[in-house]
Amino acid sequence: MPPQLQPYVQQGLDVVNQTIPLEGYLIVAAIMFAIGAWGALIRRNAVVVFMCIELMINAVNLTLVGFSDYLPGADGAGAGYAVLVIAVAAAEVAVGLAIVLAVYRSRKTVNVDEINLMKW
Amino acid sequence: MIIAFAFLAGMTLVSALGVVLSRSVVHSALFMSGSFLGVAGFFVMLNAPALATLQVLIYVGAVTVVILFGIMFTQRPQVRRYRTIINRQIWPGLFVALGVGAFLAYVLTVQDWTGTEPGNGLRSVADLGNTLLGVGGAPPIFGLLFEVASVLLLVAMIAAIVVSRRRTGEGVDRGVEE
Repeated sequence: MPPQLQPYVQQGLDVVNQTIPLEGYLIVAAIMFAIGAWGALIRRNAVVVFMCIELMINAVNLTLVGFSDYLPGADGAGAGYAVLVIAVAAAEVAVGLAIVLAVYRSRKTVNVDEINLMKW
Repeated sequence: MIIAFAFLAGMTLVSALGVVLSRSVVHSALFMSGSFLGVAGFFVMLNAPALATLQVLIYVGAVTVVILFGIMFTQRPQVRRYRTIINRQIWPGLFVALGVGAFLAYVLTVQDWTGTEPGNGLRSVADLGNTLLGVGGAPPIFGLLFEVASVLLLVAMIAAIVVSRRRTGEGVDRGVEE
């Protein structure tokens, strides 16, 4: 490498290697949560609504783990909460899909705007 | 760092948009697993490799498979136009979601996070295990939460079996019938 290029290469390496600020993770998680909320609001298929809820749960997990890694006083408690959130989400998807199966068996549809069983 | 972050952010967010906007439900499920993989990569970047393992095992593996089974059992062939997959709230829903996203981004970034450094997380699996059980200096409430989570998983398992069981003489299984 020619010596006059050395500072530029070093600058480029510094830019590439700098640590990501906490805001980066938080904003990605916020956008992911918003996309999940949008999908849960607009899609008609109940299974896709479940997927969007999983997306929102994952965004929250990302925020928790980000805080647990960046905040010095947290002692990594966010990672423990993230494991609990994963367990709750797994329970939710199991029961939710069972309900969708039961509804499909009686109604022959999983479109959430056609299921008005509990709407008076 | 920045390259990995940009790649993971793009993968996560594009896959999340794919979940919402793809017309085939199976494609939605595959996009969802891509998004979960991106989040697992973020966990690795955030010094939580054990959580990344859990994420891949539970979300990319188990939840995706369960949802694919749900799709298999419940989908009938239908016209895949946007009019039929999306209800009438697309634009109000978009505004609400944009508002939620902007509000969250504002709340999360209005704080001054300068001075926070990465590397405080639980890098080793032993530390994560201690935290989960509430021993070794971790808040002791985690022990109780661990027990509650295990009871919740048992209840959810039984509930899933009871709710989705077919009672004799009630309804027909279209897949078998046709």
